[in-house]
Amino acid sequence: MNNGFRWGRAFSIARKEIRHVMRDPFTLAWSLGLPLILVVFFGYAIDFNVRDVQLNIADGDKSRASRELLQQFSSSQYFRLKQVNPGQNVRRDLDQERSKGVLVIEPGFGRAVGEGVPASIQLLLDGADNSTVGIILSYVTGIQQATQEKLFGSSRSLPIKLKSRFLFNQEQSSQWFVVPGLVVIVVGLLSVLLTSLTVAREWETGSMELLLSTPVKPLEIILGKLTPYLVLVLIGVGMVYVIARAQFAIPFRGSHTLFIVGIILFLAQCLAQGLLISVMTRQQQSAMMLAFITGLLPTLLLSGFIFPVESMPVFFQYFTYSLAPRWFMVVSRGLFLKGAGIFELAEPMIMLLVLTIITIVIALKYFKKDLEP
Amino acid sequence: MGKPRPLAVMVNNLTIRFGDFTAVNHINFSVRQGEVFGFLGANGAGKTTTIRMLCGLLVPDEGEAVISGSSIHDNVQDIKSKVGYMSQRFTLYPDLTVAENLSFIAQLRKLETRHFDARRQELFAFIGFNHPESTLVKNLPGGVKQQMSLAAAILHDPEIIFLDEPTAGVAPQIRSRFWKLIGKLAKGGKTIFVTTHYLDEAEQCDRIALMRDGEIIALDTPKKLKQKTFPEPLLEIEPPVGASRAWMEKLKVDPATATIQPYGRRYHVLVKNEPAWKKIIRKIPKAYRVQIIQPSLEDVFIRQVEGDRR
Repeated sequence: MNNGFRWGRAFSIARKEIRHVMRDPFTLAWSLGLPLILVVFFGYAIDFNVRDVQLNIADGDKSRASRELLQQFSSSQYFRLKQVNPGQNVRRDLDQERSKGVLVIEPGFGRAVGEGVPASIQLLLDGADNSTVGIILSYVTGIQQATQEKLFGSSRSLPIKLKSRFLFNQEQSSQWFVVPGLVVIVVGLLSVLLTSLTVAREWETGSMELLLSTPVKPLEIILGKLTPYLVLVLIGVGMVYVIARAQFAIPFRGSHTLFIVGIILFLAQCLAQGLLISVMTRQQQSAMMLAFITGLLPTLLLSGFIFPVESMPVFFQYFTYSLAPRWFMVVSRGLFLKGAGIFELAEPMIMLLVLTIITIVIALKYFKKDLEP
Repeated sequence: MGKPRPLAVMVNNLTIRFGDFTAVNHINFSVRQGEVFGFLGANGAGKTTTIRMLCGLLVPDEGEAVISGSSIHDNVQDIKSKVGYMSQRFTLYPDLTVAENLSFIAQLRKLETRHFDARRQELFAFIGFNHPESTLVKNLPGGVKQQMSLAAAILHDPEIIFLDEPTAGVAPQIRSRFWKLIGKLAKGGKTIFVTTHYLDEAEQCDRIALMRDGEIIALDTPKKLKQKTFPEPLLEIEPPVGASRAWMEKLKVDPATATIQPYGRRYHVLVKNEPAWKKIIRKIPKAYRVQIIQPSLEDVFIRQVEGDRR
């Protein structure tokens, strides 16, 4: 009598699971639709780039030097200039959020420049929106330096000058930054959610009793039930990848093999997490809640997807060490944008492996305790 | 009982605890092959927990059970292939068809295709199934669903069939149809282990175990249970229409009366012994209809479960 693992049984369970999915167009639609919605939403609607910012100009000088300076501003594509009367309340547009900043040039600016004494202009910025303003400020600094060079020639410039150039994402395009991160979101959310729901459903409807009263093994149940969803998630990842490359022309500079290894590790971690949730809740409603809380929130907020880990409070920085999405985020961005190799990605990959093993061990322990008498 | 048959189920000091709560407390019984064995008790008495242990779904904390020769400690896989289990809850997949549900179970149980095809037709005939096999299970009428669950549980032709409240919440005519099926299975040599709430169903079992608070408080054939519980005669008294309660009140305090239970318009009077009973009958006015009755299982149940508690 062979009491061991049988592929046939796992395969039967998988086929049954596929039937469930095919007969529930809602699950199918949103597991395939969600990646698309996320890509459209984060790729198009959310744009961290700053372009066409309205900048009010209160030019009280109207000299050659001030016109030269404004010329520099308007020739950059970042600003839309609007002349306002220097006499009136220059802050009004700022208060009404019609403009992000006001550049005030006092009378005598041109004369000071001509005489070579320090000349100053005043820039008022809307500090309420510090993410945009931070970017504006860096643009302004650049433009000011360019103007200085133009007016005085490079000989008059400071001996040491900081000139920064952005590596990896020369365009500073937020799509390049965001879309590779979406791979993490898609895997993280979909796999945790789908897994926890499918196993919780089996408990909730009582059909787990039916499965368990047959000689089927826990491992056969897990493999059979999870494989179809694994495929579904991989299709989602594939869609994000294709859109990233084709639509947003994002490069993929690293090794695809490494990418697949990373995805599989992260997926395994997420599936185990989903399994754990379903064993703990045994109910679809609460499984869904927990899946959103533990699957989506850390991935969205603490993985460095939008908010950089480095700028989090120290406690949270250490806390993110325990989150697999944070490490997979490094892997995904590193492979897409930097062309990182196995040595550069050794740390995140090892952390990913460790977290995956830990989660699987915990999930299996709980699952087996529940199933195996 | 007839000639001795081999034991299908042997339970020895079986005990399980959930935290501080002892759900099943040192129970002992055995079931012979081909017997219809009923488990009776209130909700939470431990019936389902016992069945789940015997099917290998729960591990007991103490004690042993041997199911058709296999120990629940050592040979869970054997047991799972020898027994059929129909859970209290409806466990087929509503979004799959009848054919898909059955073939899924057949695959899990590794039935050969040819054998499975024959067996399926046999079961369809057995339960009188006359819907297309491609019907989604959720579209079947309630009674048919119930019978389909039974068919799924016995698909692999198990020796022992555990039925956990198979007729809960089902219309009376469907219940009696279902019990005919149980009878047929038993006649075919299957051992049936069934829990129920319905006392008329329990009446059809060969033997009944009464469970209360995780313990078996009585176990015998329905007939013997009644005799043992009611060694004294039971009278049914029906007062004439419009009679005052005064006479029944008087009867209640009569030293020859043990208990009086109202049953609708009638009363069941338990008397202490035969002379006392004759005395009482003589006292009762002619307008009252009096007869000696066989106690029902309900009387037994009330006396066993409630009586012990006092």
